[in-house]
Amino acid sequence: MSDLIVNGQRYALDAQVGRSLASVLREDIGLIGTKIACNEGHCGACTVLLDGVPTLSCITLVHTVGEREVTTIEGLRDHPLVESFVRADALQCGFCTPGQIVSASALVEANPHPSREEVRHAMAGNICRCGAYPKIEEAVLTWQD
Amino acid sequence: MKLLQPSSLEELDAAGPGLLLAGGTDVVPILRNKLIDVDTLVDIRAVVPRGVDGTRIGAGTTLAELEVDPQIPAALREACASAASPQLRAMGTIGGNLRQATRCWYWRMHYPCFLHGGDRCYAQTGVHREHSVFANDRTASAHPSDPAAALLALNARVRTNRRELSISELYRLPTNDNRDVVALDYDEVILDLEVPTPEASTYLKAMDRQKYAFALVGVAAARFGTDVRLGLSGVAPIPWALDSAAGLDDATPLPDNAYKIQIARALIERALEAVG
Amino acid sequence: MARLIRTEKEVEGNYTEQWIVVDEDPVAQWPSGPLEIVGRPLARVDGAERARGEAVYTADLQLPGMLHVAVLRSPHAHARVTQLDLARASEAPGVRAVLTPDDLDVLTREPGYPGAAIAAVAADTYDLAAEALELADIEWEVLQPLLDPDEAVQQGSLIDEPERYDRGNVEQGFAEADVVVETEYRTQTVLHNSMETHQSVCQWEGDLLNVYTSTQYIWGVRAETAAKLGLPEDKVRVVCHYMGGGFGAKNHPGEYTFIAAELAKRTGRPVRCALTRREENLTTGNRHATIQRLKVGAKADGTLTALVGDFVMAVGWRGFKSWTAGPMKMLYHCPNVSTVEYGAKVNTGPNAAFRAPGFVEGTFGLECLLDELAAKLEIDPLELRRRNHSDSDLVDDRPYSSKNLIECYRRAEPHWEKRDEVRARSNGPWKHGIGMASQIWFGAGGPPSYAWVRVGSDGRALVVTAMQDIGTGTKTAMAQIAAEELGLPVDRVQVSIGDSARGPYAAISAGSSTTPSMGPAVRAAAHDAARQIIEIAAQRYHKEERVLSLKGGNVVSADGGSWPIEEVTGLLDDAQILGKGARGPNPTGMRVLTFGVQVAEVAVDVETGEVRVDKIVAVHDVGRVINPLGASSQVEGGVIQGLGHTFSEDRLLDPNTGAVLNQTLDAYKMPTIADVPEIVTDLIDVPDEHLTNLGSKGLGEPPIIPTSAAVANAIRDATGADVRSLPISREEMLRALAEAKEKEKTREAPTAV
Repeated sequence: MSDLIVNGQRYALDAQVGRSLASVLREDIGLIGTKIACNEGHCGACTVLLDGVPTLSCITLVHTVGEREVTTIEGLRDHPLVESFVRADALQCGFCTPGQIVSASALVEANPHPSREEVRHAMAGNICRCGAYPKIEEAVLTWQD
Repeated sequence: MKLLQPSSLEELDAAGPGLLLAGGTDVVPILRNKLIDVDTLVDIRAVVPRGVDGTRIGAGTTLAELEVDPQIPAALREACASAASPQLRAMGTIGGNLRQATRCWYWRMHYPCFLHGGDRCYAQTGVHREHSVFANDRTASAHPSDPAAALLALNARVRTNRRELSISELYRLPTNDNRDVVALDYDEVILDLEVPTPEASTYLKAMDRQKYAFALVGVAAARFGTDVRLGLSGVAPIPWALDSAAGLDDATPLPDNAYKIQIARALIERALEAVG
Repeated sequence: MARLIRTEKEVEGNYTEQWIVVDEDPVAQWPSGPLEIVGRPLARVDGAERARGEAVYTADLQLPGMLHVAVLRSPHAHARVTQLDLARASEAPGVRAVLTPDDLDVLTREPGYPGAAIAAVAADTYDLAAEALELADIEWEVLQPLLDPDEAVQQGSLIDEPERYDRGNVEQGFAEADVVVETEYRTQTVLHNSMETHQSVCQWEGDLLNVYTSTQYIWGVRAETAAKLGLPEDKVRVVCHYMGGGFGAKNHPGEYTFIAAELAKRTGRPVRCALTRREENLTTGNRHATIQRLKVGAKADGTLTALVGDFVMAVGWRGFKSWTAGPMKMLYHCPNVSTVEYGAKVNTGPNAAFRAPGFVEGTFGLECLLDELAAKLEIDPLELRRRNHSDSDLVDDRPYSSKNLIECYRRAEPHWEKRDEVRARSNGPWKHGIGMASQIWFGAGGPPSYAWVRVGSDGRALVVTAMQDIGTGTKTAMAQIAAEELGLPVDRVQVSIGDSARGPYAAISAGSSTTPSMGPAVRAAAHDAARQIIEIAAQRYHKEERVLSLKGGNVVSADGGSWPIEEVTGLLDDAQILGKGARGPNPTGMRVLTFGVQVAEVAVDVETGEVRVDKIVAVHDVGRVINPLGASSQVEGGVIQGLGHTFSEDRLLDPNTGAVLNQTLDAYKMPTIADVPEIVTDLIDVPDEHLTNLGSKGLGEPPIIPTSAAVANAIRDATGADVRSLPISREEMLRALAEAKEKEKTREAPTAV
């Protein structure tokens, strides 16, 4: 049996081969901030970081994660992006928002001063059906304010 | 289901048959939807090279790594940048991208179509706006890979654990006897790519959204001296080479997708202009 | 004292008479313009818990012992189940109960659309339930599906009676016309695709049923579920604290709720029935496709003399005809109008309300038609609309409670005037242009709706009402209204929503009605509480009540003196001040509507058919704006959904089988962040003096209504091409460009000869 490292904590991995990282995070560990909206890797709601890389946890088989560190929204609750999303009103129903923030955190980690075009390029994989996009863009551009 | 994780090519050979898994962006949904029935998965990430070294690209390099790599030709960089979503590019490898399955909705919905071993193509008489305008007599499936079109224009070569072949040899039109579009054995693994450096190259893509959609038409152009090579995505069951825009006159569009030819003509003209 | 009155209630154009209980003394409206808290931007009060992933949506709920349901659905658009045996499925690992059509009437043996529910299995996990379904022994007689809506109308396959509307005499109107334009427009089927799929968790506690559900209407789910199960309504408790989007598709309990309730009863365990994304896109509703055959007559000066519309709607196997003729009847001052609406019953998924149902579609047709007329008359399109402005409602022959459409046009004018400048940006294959379209819609809200306000000795207020916030920010707006009335900083006001067992009846979150329905009730309740605080303060400080008011956290006396509210409430100890409020009636004999105009700037690549929207200016008149920040988010969201509808969203059906081909989000393409233009929001923000104690109308729907027409008109301005069919895909754009070129040739031909 292997382990799973999530937000700095080590968990014993006890799951059938074939299960997704998203389902283990949500159902076994209880980290419900990671949402499942399409479960086919198309919408970005389930985005987590694996060693800092934005990854779709709904199509990641949990047994392939290995020693890579998983960061979920629960591990980013103190990130300034949370505050900037709220301040800019960058969420409506909020169901996609944790995934948006996870994606944005990877962007600003690599590029603290992204341009508008860079934000659009890095955030295009996170669908927001409410259409909070203009304010998501603003929240990412002003994350350090 | 079993997951094998070989750490060397020898272990891989010893692993026996199984479905190869790297980034998993296509394989996992396909498995979950039971489009392929397997009981063994082989995680090849530890045995496939990753990274760029001059003109050599490890097949385990992700599209996200390639889209920002200054060592590789612009056409490939642009093709990677325009493919899929940021997360999918961060997960998906170039080797896996070249072997992705068709996006045809009939195939994905288990219609007993030609590519599934059946005797007809449902798209031909159904909805085919996103389908092929070339070589679409048996199947109208359109090849979805942006990087494959770029690599075709760049005349890249592919090294597997068995052999070396050109990118045009990697793909084959499916026949009655063999419905695959990739000319590799089931357990053959792409290890790396050798990508020649052109004087100039570009990739242009028409899609239904500004970003994050498969190509309706993608056009790659690469100039080596006075020789310009073109590779197209989204127009044939495999990445499609053309000598010039005149080749579009041979297209055989279906009732609802002739518009692709018009787009291809404009993009080819622009791509040729861009590479000089 | 409470008073029972008979009043008119309007929901999206339908009037019903009903009794409501109202307070004796209505509260006067606040003055126009931003107040201390109302009318000023406020970040949403529940933003942090949503952003941090702490908010528990229905999808996140895990109850001890909870079972999961997989539903067996028809793969056929039209079929008959000739054999159904779940014996093997019921013995599969982890299976706890199964349901067939014999057990529950929402399951069927005669599916009329792909995805219709046939049977259900509850198991320990969803995967086990799904695997068990594969063991179902089922045989089908596949029937020919009817898919073409025109054919359905011809065959008499209709959802209900065709709806006819006539005013004046259109024949006479056309006789008076100098110019007549006749055109056909089409709109496609669009899928809601809320991020949280439709789902419920049902749990029985004795004879009480707890329904945790993703809904826009807690009380509707309660009533419909109680009726279905034959329970008193108070025996059904409906809970929805957070929900992940609805857009009109979550107004009812849905079969999944009934399936979960029945399986929970049979197993004695909590049961989740959650739809997958694919099921979501088969069965939970859609904006139905329309075919609009329209004709307009006008005098040379642009005065409309006649409007005729023949509307065919592909409703689906069930559902309702959206109000596609609405804009034609309501938007302009045309004396002669004749419309007929057919609801085709076809073998596709049932429709559901989708953000301004019918008006999005009907406005696309009507406002494109108006621009084609303007071109023929050589009249400026904005001027044409001004000339046909209506000062009163001609459908019911009533005055408007308020209308500031002319002011909307005035504010749009500076953008509209940049037409030459925008066209001059054209460069190579990229042609630039500008277009506009007007908007009309309902949005009055109405009674009944109630709220309670509780103030404790700490001087904090709790607003209690069993409404839901579907992401529109109504919870935040309610906090602002209560804080304003109580003179408290907004961080001392908390709002409790989302539970039918905690608080009074609250309105549906649909029809742009939540804020105009709930806001006045919350204000009335806060007013009731404020009055009691003042009464206590008057006794404590020996002042007359009439000189006291609540402001900035203090009780302020007009003749000097100011005391912190908590000093007054501190007297209460464990006693509490309880305020209650009810939504009053809508103004009798008036039409309460919302208005607006949008201007679109686009660029078209005439060689590849690519269209880029550079800018949308959205000017809307929705009465008083409670939260300008949240309001601009609503506008942007509406415009962006409108752009998805305009360009890339289209439910595709296999023409032979009726199968939905793009159920997944790679193939069904909603806008991403990269598709968004600059969006300028400009709200008139003048209270409707006749409407409630707030003067606020709804804003959820107006912004999506004119977007596609404004874009199509901008494309015509840029290229001369008439796009008449949504979505404006590459092929539709290239077709329209080719048609325009052809037209140009034939126009030139006679001169050449």
